[in-house]
Amino acid sequence: MTGRAIFRIVVKAAALFAALNLLFVLLNPLEALGRLSLYNAVLPGRWRLPYGENSAESYNLSLHNIPAMFASHVVAQPKPDDEYRLLLIGDSGTWGWLMENDQTLAAQINAAGDTVDGRRLVAYNLAYPIMALSKDLLLLDEAMSYQPDLILWLVTLESFPRQQQVFPPLVQNNAERMRRLAERYDLNLDPNDPRFVTPSLLERTIVGQRRALADWLRLQVYGFSWAFTGIDQAIPDDYTLRASDFEEDLSWDSFDEPAPFTADDLAFDVLAAGMARAGGVPVIVVNEPIFISRGRNSDLRYNAFYPRWAYDAYRELLDAQARANGWHYLDLWDAIPPDEFTDTPVHLTPEGVLMLSEHLVSAIEQN
Amino acid sequence: MDEKEVREKLRSYITRELIRDESYRLTDDEGIVTGGLMDSFSLAEFAVYVESEFGVYIPDSDLTVARMNTLDQMVARVMQDMK
Amino acid sequence: MNLAAILVFAAAACLYGALLPARFRGWALFAGSVIAVYVLQPALPIRYSAYALPTAMLLLIVASWWLTRDSNAHAGATTSQPLNDDVVGAQHAAPLQSPNDERYSPSPRLREGSGVRGIPRDDLVTLMALVALMVGVSFLRFIDVDFRLVASTPPEPLAVVLALLVIGAAGVGLRLALRRVSQRRALTGMILLIAAAFVVFKAEPLATALSRALRFQTGQDTTLASIADLGWVGFSYVAFRLIHTLRDRQTGILPALSLREYVTYVIFFPSFTAGPIDRAERFVEDYRALPGLRGLDAERFAGGAARILIGLFKKFVIADTLALGLALNVINAGQVESPLGMWLLLYGYALRLYFDFGGYTDIAIGIGILYGVTLPENFSRPYLRTTITSFWQSWHITLSSWARFYVFSPLSRALLTRKPKPSALVIVLLAQVTTMVVIGLWHGVALNFLLWGLWHGVGLFVHKQWSDRTRKWYRGLNDQPARKRLWVGFSWFVTFHYVVLGWVWFALPDVSQSLRVFGVLFGGG
Repeated sequence: MTGRAIFRIVVKAAALFAALNLLFVLLNPLEALGRLSLYNAVLPGRWRLPYGENSAESYNLSLHNIPAMFASHVVAQPKPDDEYRLLLIGDSGTWGWLMENDQTLAAQINAAGDTVDGRRLVAYNLAYPIMALSKDLLLLDEAMSYQPDLILWLVTLESFPRQQQVFPPLVQNNAERMRRLAERYDLNLDPNDPRFVTPSLLERTIVGQRRALADWLRLQVYGFSWAFTGIDQAIPDDYTLRASDFEEDLSWDSFDEPAPFTADDLAFDVLAAGMARAGGVPVIVVNEPIFISRGRNSDLRYNAFYPRWAYDAYRELLDAQARANGWHYLDLWDAIPPDEFTDTPVHLTPEGVLMLSEHLVSAIEQN
Repeated sequence: MDEKEVREKLRSYITRELIRDESYRLTDDEGIVTGGLMDSFSLAEFAVYVESEFGVYIPDSDLTVARMNTLDQMVARVMQDMK
Repeated sequence: MNLAAILVFAAAACLYGALLPARFRGWALFAGSVIAVYVLQPALPIRYSAYALPTAMLLLIVASWWLTRDSNAHAGATTSQPLNDDVVGAQHAAPLQSPNDERYSPSPRLREGSGVRGIPRDDLVTLMALVALMVGVSFLRFIDVDFRLVASTPPEPLAVVLALLVIGAAGVGLRLALRRVSQRRALTGMILLIAAAFVVFKAEPLATALSRALRFQTGQDTTLASIADLGWVGFSYVAFRLIHTLRDRQTGILPALSLREYVTYVIFFPSFTAGPIDRAERFVEDYRALPGLRGLDAERFAGGAARILIGLFKKFVIADTLALGLALNVINAGQVESPLGMWLLLYGYALRLYFDFGGYTDIAIGIGILYGVTLPENFSRPYLRTTITSFWQSWHITLSSWARFYVFSPLSRALLTRKPKPSALVIVLLAQVTTMVVIGLWHGVALNFLLWGLWHGVGLFVHKQWSDRTRKWYRGLNDQPARKRLWVGFSWFVTFHYVVLGWVWFALPDVSQSLRVFGVLFGGG
């Protein structure tokens, strides 16, 4: 081989590489690729959306490709005629932090074996471990193409602060989807918030998107370990119990002390957008149970998350919003005894989840 | 001892002791190991025989399939060190 | 080697080919390899050990070179002499040695002018350069941590100089004290010393004890002592290369090597961390030809680059993807309950291991090609082999060849010439099992590697018994192609699964866990 021949090969290879990258920028095929999945075909679908940091132990990972996340989930299977499909939207408590898949809220609702209108009630866990209504809306938006009959949307005050709405990496890295929703539902959300990730031309090439591509591949590969072991979370043997004693601290979010609190301070517009997005599909908004402490300074605070004043004001506001907009609303804030909470004020023990599921199943029956 | 004598001694030793089939007609250039007639482990036995018979020490690093696969190669290696 | 190191090595190859005067190429590989020994050494918790271990390795190499020197060489002889007529060591002479050995002539070496006390000036210059590099590396402690090149802070240069002086003086003292010991005995002593160091560093309890002692010396927490403290990168390969030269010197087949040739051979940076285990006489052929190399040879660069790319793909795409969750490991071995899942993980492990190691080898060979050194192949489609014997001629070839040259052949010969001669069955069993156990323990002095070695030793033994008895019948199959194909397919299936099941021992340090895996694989739970 001569130097000239090698030079030609190098030039051709470089040109081909550049062309492929350009094509990738133009087609932006990541989401289409995401719909391609080994799950529900050669691998069983996941019971909850992929999320996890310690991949080597959890056989799970956090990625930003929403179609890929849904394609890996059992919800992507065809819906049988005799199924009444219930989708659960919420935070880590509903996703099942520190819980096996058969202990989560969705699993315990399914274990009840209820029927609705003669159809089997089948719940799908579409919760995702971070607290923000925007993230809920993003997932609910995608979930609507999976033929829900009913949606349970579990919320808590921590999901409501305005600043929180562009905090989740899932939201930041799905800027286009979030901006579209913001525009469509006229959300009070700055589309130019610098936290949104807007890739440059170079970052949209194959090279720039190598991480996203690798994540898609890793999601498929971890599926084998998930299939063989049923593990999708590295549950520690031990955890620190949620605090019961508190400092004399009344601050919440950006409020250093109790202050008059209006609906404008919280992202009710995002909640309303979700209700609108669901359209004809009924949604039950659930104010999820919180840990109510009886420790030091518990006259000031319910728990580590919430001072009493802020949480009480939130409940009043949510109740008023639900009435004004005609939403189905279920306030279960004090429905679970304090002993059934684990590491945070919203994470329940399996027994706690069972109690919650009983409340919810009876609410569904009444609906 | 001339090359011819060495060749015939080796041929008869290999067919008798290593291939263990005296009726086998071993040619000069067929692959003895690669042809499945004997295995590479027999090369150690071969080396011991060569040393006792011809007084030629073949170093261990020469006892490889690549270097000792045919009768021709073996004869050449022995002749190299024959006085 | 990580991606960054591979890129640096490849980029440096371009400068080496394009700009470096041809006569300095050997020097460049020498200096580059010495520096790489320090750079490739990962950080270790015990203070200064990430500097001390590479330095100790280099000193060990110099000592080995000293012992393998041909003391007659400066008197005009150009070939090394076998060591069977030494005054003191006569009774230790190899019983199989014949006086004809010297005719197995290594490549002659020109000696240009003597330096001090019979040490050629060239070797003295190399020695000084080596010391300068060792001390030079310690100056990296004054460089900001982001640009330091080495993973841990080196000790004070002054301390290094003092330590080297003390070690040098001790070396000279030792040489004087042992001057009546024959070279043959000294070589044996060195081989035993290296083997002992290998065992100490690779056996968990011994390494932990050593780590505890070192931590006590440095005033660090002795309760944290573990084998991980003594991650001496490259030592396994270096040890086997050294033993090869020491043993070959004893049998008189080692070519005369300059210090620079010797050091560069032992620590040549592409093959420093993960092989292959080249042979000195083959390496120096390339090394001595370096000045005649075309600087920017397009073909060489294309060949090397292609090999590196293939290796990168095998290692970083195939192997690393399999490692994500498709390969057996300590964690999932305890979690998987279904036989199907366990089999898939085991196949995945077999492929991961091959692509990981094979990929590394491709990268090493590719980088070697860029610099003008053609390292030996290490793999030759091992999983397509139809007998366990041919598997071992195609898997980690340079290690199994080493074991054949330095364990199997000498042991077989010794047993074959023993009076009374043991039965053929005993000889083959002993030789094969010992060889494979050595290969097993080379990976780590632990029970699981011992069992893996036994597994293969027994496999090879059984296969030899079988093929000895069926050879004629098997040759008869040549006339029946259909039956032969069927038989070859069956042989492949058995061989592949024997190897794959053997990996269970290899993959899992805990033997009870391996037994559990076998239970799941065969449906016992």
